Formats: sequence, C-alpha cells, structure tokens
Amino acid sequence: MLKIVREVPLLSVQRELGGSVGEFAGWITSMDYGNPMEEHMCTRTSVSVFDVSHMGRYVIKGGRVFEFLQKLVSKDLSEVGTGKMSGPVLLMNENAGIRDDIMLYKVSEDLWFAVVNAPNVDKDLEWMNTWRVRWGYTDIEIENVTLKSTLIAIQGPKAAEVMENLGFNEARNLKILEFAYGAEVAGKKTVLVSRSGWTGEEVRSFGFEIWTDVDHGAEILRKSVALGARPAGLIARDTLRLEAGYLLIGQDMDENTNPVEARYWLPISLEKEDCIGCSKLREIYEKGVSRIRVGLKLKKGLRVIPRHNAGIYAGNNLVGRVTSGAFSPYLNAGVAMGYVNVSHAYIGSKLDLDVRGGKQKAKIVDFPLI
Amino acid sequence: MSDHEIIVKTKLGEYSVPKNLLYTAKDEWVRIEGDTATLGITDYAQKKLKYIVNVELPEVGKKVKVDESVATLESVKAVAEVYTPVEGEIIEINEELTEKPDLINTDPYGRGWIVKLRTSKIDEGKLLSPENYADKISKEE
Repeated sequence: MLKIVREVPLLSVQRELGGSVGEFAGWITSMDYGNPMEEHMCTRTSVSVFDVSHMGRYVIKGGRVFEFLQKLVSKDLSEVGTGKMSGPVLLMNENAGIRDDIMLYKVSEDLWFAVVNAPNVDKDLEWMNTWRVRWGYTDIEIENVTLKSTLIAIQGPKAAEVMENLGFNEARNLKILEFAYGAEVAGKKTVLVSRSGWTGEEVRSFGFEIWTDVDHGAEILRKSVALGARPAGLIARDTLRLEAGYLLIGQDMDENTNPVEARYWLPISLEKEDCIGCSKLREIYEKGVSRIRVGLKLKKGLRVIPRHNAGIYAGNNLVGRVTSGAFSPYLNAGVAMGYVNVSHAYIGSKLDLDVRGGKQKAKIVDFPLI
Repeated sequence: MSDHEIIVKTKLGEYSVPKNLLYTAKDEWVRIEGDTATLGITDYAQKKLKYIVNVELPEVGKKVKVDESVATLESVKAVAEVYTPVEGEIIEINEELTEKPDLINTDPYGRGWIVKLRTSKIDEGKLLSPENYADKISKEE
C-alpha cells in the first residue's frame, strides 16, 4: 500500500529551533529538541512550546450540526456551551470499539470545529462524511483544514505568562476547556485560543493551544521561544501524557477496545442512546468486562522502559499486556499503562513485567501516575 | 563537506561520518590504534535511537568474539545491542555512561565511546570505509 508521509507546515521553523526530526503517524515532525527528558521536566516546572500541527483539524458547518454530531459521538453534547470544548469524545463503531478520540469546539449550534488524532486525519473525515450522507445531513460541510493551519501548544505552569507576553489578554480569565474564538495573539487574529492541552492539564500543567494560519503559527512558535518557552517534541509529549494517564489511539485503544475496559469514562455518557455504538456500550457496561486498563510503576531509579505489548505476569501466568511505557524523569522510574485481567487488577499489588534484561516487579497504580 | 568528516543529508536529518574511523553495517564505529580498538555507535545510530536512558556495559577482562554483543543501550525508542566487529578482550569500559548515558547522543564519537578492546587480529576488510558507510545511510533514508 502506498504510504503517504507529509511534512508539518512548520518543519523548517522546528529545525531552526533545533528540532530532531522523525516520523510519526505519517507525519515528519520534531521528535525532540536535543533532550526530551529536560523538555518533559520543563513542561512540568516552567513552560514549553509544542508544534502539534500534525493533529487533524476540521471545520464543520451548515444546518443542524449539533444534531449530526450528537448522533456521531459518545458524549451528550447538550452539556457543551458556546465557546466551550467538549473534552475528549469518541467516534465508536457499532460494537462500541474506539475508532478515535476527538475534541469538539462549539462556536455556535451550526458551527463546530474538531481536532482529531494524526493517524486518523483521512479516516475520520471519511467516517463522518459516510454518516453525514447516510443520515441526510446534505447541507452540512466538513472541511479538512489541517494542512493550511497550525496548532501550537504552550504548556506548563508559566504558560499564562508567555501568553500574556504574546499579547493574549484573556490568559488569566479563560477556564479549562474554554476557548476564545478569533482572539488576537501577537497582534494578529487567530482562529481560536483554547485553555487545553495533552500534557496533564488537570495534574501539574496548565496550558493553551493556539489554532491559527501557517505564517502566524511560525511567528508564535518563534516568539514564544524568545519569551522563554522551551521547544519540546513528540517524545516529551508522549511521556507527559502517559504520566497523566491519557490514552493514545492505536496504542492504548483501538477498534477492538471498548471504553469500559479502557476505563475511559470522560468521553462517554452512559445514558445516551442515540449514537453510533451507544446501545452496545450500555450493554457492555451492564454485562461487565474481563480486563481493565491500569497504571504500572517500576522501582525508583531503575532505568528501564516497559515496551508496547510486553507481558505482565502473576508468577508464570500471563495476566496482561503493556500498551504504553516510558521512563518518567519526574518520578525517576519506569512507568506504563496496560490491560490486566480483572482478577489481578488490584491497586497497590505487584505483578512481574517483561523488560530489558528480564522480569521486574511493577506496582499496579491508578491514574494519573504523578 | 569538511576535511575531517562527511555530512550525509537526508530528508530526515544530517549525519556526521568522521573520516578517521571505520564502520560496521550495524552502525557501530571503530577506532584502531595498534592492538586497541575503541567502539561506539554512529551519529546516525544515536539519532535513530533518540535519547538514551541506560547503558549496560560488560565486565573488564571479558573475552568476546566477532559479532558478539558488548553493550545494551536502552533509548526512548528501543533497546539496541552494540556488536563488536573484532574479537578480543575488553580492557576498558566508559564508566561515565552509567551516570550520563546521553553522552552517546551529545558526543557519539568522543565522550560517548562505549568500550575498548585489545585484539590480536583485525579483519579490516569486514569494516566499511567512511565513504561506504555514508553511502549506506544515505540509501536507508
């Protein structure tokens, strides 16, 4: 099959800032800027800037957009006010398998924006259009604006300071999951600025995401670095999200994973009936599941990284598998998330984990990991 | 291109290949001085592995054969073995890597060296010249 690899629009600016480039989900972008551990710590203690333009962006407009999205996603969107983000919501298949987790932005009843995961930029659009046509929402238009826009995330406890210095007046007023539509940053109008992120927003980090055009994105990326934000890449982003307990599509969840076993409660409304996968989800919930997602922590100071698919054992009995692992510089320990048989998923107990050089004890913990 | 190194430029990055070293197809470099061979991994290899969090080194005095693993590197991307292209005895290990494994990232041909071996025979024909190694990595990307 033809493999499409695209460059993020700001790749040259990333390189100018010291980006070490690699491939992720069909995109060429910066994996780190020399030291992902320091980038991670800087995000926890100060402020970093991430170019996350590889995330897909759609504009959804026309008549009855609310009604259409309400049927499409796992969460009851009637709770989402104007100028608010939905929080993560799921695109499920009919079996309540997770196709993607996406973020919706309500500008008005009939104008919504969506941010979807990088590997699914084309797949989600196709899925949405299929249902749009099937349900007869022919007056709705979904435009993929990924390549002609940018998304810059400024994250960390000092993010508000950098945003103020960039001339964003609402830095201190905007609440988590609120956005300022058409707000000005660095003297120019953006598409929107939101109070959000994927680094552990409610845990240790407080950040903003700026959705704007390509030239303006380049300017904001450069200026934020000049104002003290450290450029950070996808490796740090991955270790930060893992500490926060956030799931990565394709790695921690996929179409063969349901939200109940993933313990991904935030994006679902169990009482919702009329959406793709909703009734099946309710059925799974009532029946119960045989495995659940847990966090795992290895011994402090042991410099090992649990790998995707590594076995989790009770004695010689395989009772689960790791889906994501990292070395957490914040905890100075290897951490992971994975799925474990319900009969062995006791918080606080220890299981054996396959890592480099043999098995190591790992403590079962809940999320977040920090 | 400078006098002492070849810079290989690809779509994904730039990689330094010093002209005073020999290379393996598995991305190790070797410096041969008399009967001593110093071993490390190339700039290309460290950029592929990304940030290295741990290095497991052998015992000094250990005898190793050609293509035997002499160290294990664990990076944020993967676990990688370092294979020796020469046989001999480990006479020195880079202890500094235990505390600072990322020296392999920041200075792969200098402070990021991994082991030194004393060797009785070196088959240089099995090693790649800087030009051939540069050619190999430019074809990989």
